[in-house]
Amino acid sequence: MADSDGALDANRERTTASANDSADSESGTALDADGLVVGYPGADEPVVNGETLAVPAGEVTALVGPNGSGKSTLLKGLANRLEPDAGRVLLDGRRVESFGSKELARAVGRLSQENTAPDTITVEALVERGRYPHRGFFESQADGDEQAVDDAIAMAGIDHLRDREVGELSGGQKQLAWIAMALAQDTDVLLLDEPTTFLDPRHQLEVMDVVGTLRDESETTVVLVLHDISQAARYADHVVALRDGAVYARGDPDSVVTAGVLADVFGIDADVLETDHGPQVVPLGPADEAASGGDESR
Amino acid sequence: MVELFERLAERRAGVRVGADSKLAAVALASVAVVVGATLLQVSFGAYPLSLGEAWGAVFDPEVALSVEAWRAFLLSGDVPSWFTQQQHIVWNIRLPRILVGVLVGANLAVSGAVFQIITRNELASPYILGVSDGAGLVVLTVLTGFSGLLPFVPVLAAFGGGAAFLLVYVIAWKNGTSPVRLVLAGVIVGTVFGSVQRALFFFIDDLSTVMSAQAWLSGSLLNTDWGEVRIALPFTVLALALAFTVTQELDVLALGEETAESLGMPVERMRFAVAGIAVLSTAAAIAVAGLIGFVGLIVPHMVRNVVGSESRRLLAGCLFLGPALLVGADVGARLALSPIQLPVGIITGLVGGPYFLYLMRKTENMGEV
Repeated sequence: MADSDGALDANRERTTASANDSADSESGTALDADGLVVGYPGADEPVVNGETLAVPAGEVTALVGPNGSGKSTLLKGLANRLEPDAGRVLLDGRRVESFGSKELARAVGRLSQENTAPDTITVEALVERGRYPHRGFFESQADGDEQAVDDAIAMAGIDHLRDREVGELSGGQKQLAWIAMALAQDTDVLLLDEPTTFLDPRHQLEVMDVVGTLRDESETTVVLVLHDISQAARYADHVVALRDGAVYARGDPDSVVTAGVLADVFGIDADVLETDHGPQVVPLGPADEAASGGDESR
Repeated sequence: MVELFERLAERRAGVRVGADSKLAAVALASVAVVVGATLLQVSFGAYPLSLGEAWGAVFDPEVALSVEAWRAFLLSGDVPSWFTQQQHIVWNIRLPRILVGVLVGANLAVSGAVFQIITRNELASPYILGVSDGAGLVVLTVLTGFSGLLPFVPVLAAFGGGAAFLLVYVIAWKNGTSPVRLVLAGVIVGTVFGSVQRALFFFIDDLSTVMSAQAWLSGSLLNTDWGEVRIALPFTVLALALAFTVTQELDVLALGEETAESLGMPVERMRFAVAGIAVLSTAAAIAVAGLIGFVGLIVPHMVRNVVGSESRRLLAGCLFLGPALLVGADVGARLALSPIQLPVGIITGLVGGPYFLYLMRKTENMGEV
C-alpha cells in the first residue's frame, strides 16, 4: 500500500515552491505529455491542441480554467482514454498506449465528473469494484483486496457508510464513496475530474482533505480539475491554468493565481489576497472584453 | 487494532450472510413453486392422477435412476419397453414440458438481467436488441414459403435472432456504441422486421398455419417433449455457465462506460461478448418456446428488489425465479381454460402487466438501474 509506506514520510518537509523540487528525493515526472493533441471523434477541432505538460511525481497538480478550456479532455488524454491525434504521453518514461488496459488501470486511476452506480449496492461493494484491475479473469478475490478496500474506506472517512446502499446517500457522501473506489484501485497516479463541483462546503472540504492526505502521507501523484481557484491554491503544489486548449500559465499557486492570470484566463476582475492558506480569490466582476482575450464565445 | 479488524470482518460477513440468506429464500420459494406446479401439471389432464400418485410417479426411482430411460430422454433412443402407461404419460409427455419450461424460464430471466445491466436500462428485456424480431421473421418466412424447412425451425429461429443482433450492432456502431445507440438500433431493426413479419401473414392461406405462427409468436410450451429438451439443454448450460463467469465484468459495466474504462476494461469488446452470451441464452429459449414475453423483463426486477444489484446474486436469483414464474404460468396456460390451452406467453403478459403497474405505483424513480 502506497499510503502505509507514505505514512513513514508523514513528517517530511513539504515545499510549496516548485523550484525546490529538483532537490527533493521524489522529484521526477510521473506523467509527461508532449505535443499532445486530443479531440473527440466526429469533432473538427481538437480540444487540446499541442499541449506539453509534465506532472511532477508524488505531488498535487491542479488544472484550472473556464468551461470548455480542455481540462477534462486533457485528463482523458493523460489517462489514454482518448486516442491522441498527435503527440505522446509518457507514464514513468513509458508510452501510455503500450500499457495493457488493466495494467494501465493499476497505474493510473481516473474518477470522472459524473458517476452513476446501481442504487441497491452497498458502499463496500462499490469500493470493492475498484479492485477490478488487480484481478484476473476468473479471480473473484485477489491478494490484498480486503486490505485495500479497508484502507480506501478509512482514508475517505466513510467507514460509517460502509454497509449503506449507494442510493440512500447524499451527493457528497456518494462522491466520497466514489473517491474511495478510486483509492481502492491503489494507483500511483490519481486523476480527479472536478471532484468538488456540486458538493456542499463541508463535503468539498472532506474531499479536499482526502487530497491533502494523499499529498502529505503518500507518494501518490494527484492531478485534479478544480473550478474553485482558491481551493486549487490551497491544496495544490502546482497550478496549471488552461485557456482554449492550451496551457496559459503554470507554476506554484503564488505565481499562477494572480489578478493578471485570472483576467486573461477566466475573464474576471478579481482581488487576490495573500493569506496563511495560500492566495485567496475574491471575484469582483467580469473583466472587459478586450482584456479577457476572446473567451466569451465559449 | 486487531479487535477493530475482527469486528470489521464480522460485520462484513454479517452483511453478506444477510444478502445470501435472502437469495436462499428466493431459491427455496422458487423450488417450492416449481415442485407444486409440477405436481399439478402431472396430475391433471386427459389421464388424471391423484396428487399422491403424481408425486409417486415424478419421484419414481425406477425411472429416475434408470440409465436406459435417461438415454432415451436425452439421446433420443427408444423408450424402455417396461414403461407402464402411467410412466409413459408422466415421464414422456408431461414432465418434458415442465423441464422445457424450467430451461426457458432460466434463460429468459438470466439474459434479461444481463441485458438490463449492459444497456443500463431497467426496462430492457432479452428481446431489446432485435433477437425476437429476427427469429420471428425467420419463422414466418419458413411458414409461408419454405415449409420443407419446418423441422429446422428452432435452429433457424435462433440463427435469425443472432443475425438480427449482429445487424443491430452494425447499425449502432459509430466510433463504438453506447447503450442508447444500441437500444435505438434495436427499435429500428424491430420496426422493420416486425412490419415484414406482419406482411408475411397475408401470404398464408391456411388457417392452421396462421394459428401455429400466432402460437409461436405468443410463446408456447404446447407439444414440447424431450426433443425440445435436447435442443435447449446444451446451449442453456453453456450460456448460463458463461454468464456466471462474467458476473464481475457485469458489476464493473454497471458502473458506466467511463468508470469501466478507468478500471481497465475494454468496454466495447466486453459488452459485445457479454451481449453475445445473453443472445445465445435467449436464442436457446426462443428456439423451443417461441417469443414468451415479460419473463425476462419482470423476473430481474423482482430479484433485484430482494437481493440487490450485485450481479452474482442477481443472476443466481433469476436462475431460480425465472423457471418458477414460467412453469407456474404454464399451469394456468394449460389448465385454466381446459380443454383449450393458451400460449404461456399470454399468461406471463397477464401476470407481468399488473406487476409492473404495482411497481410503478410503489417506486418513485423507476427506469434507472
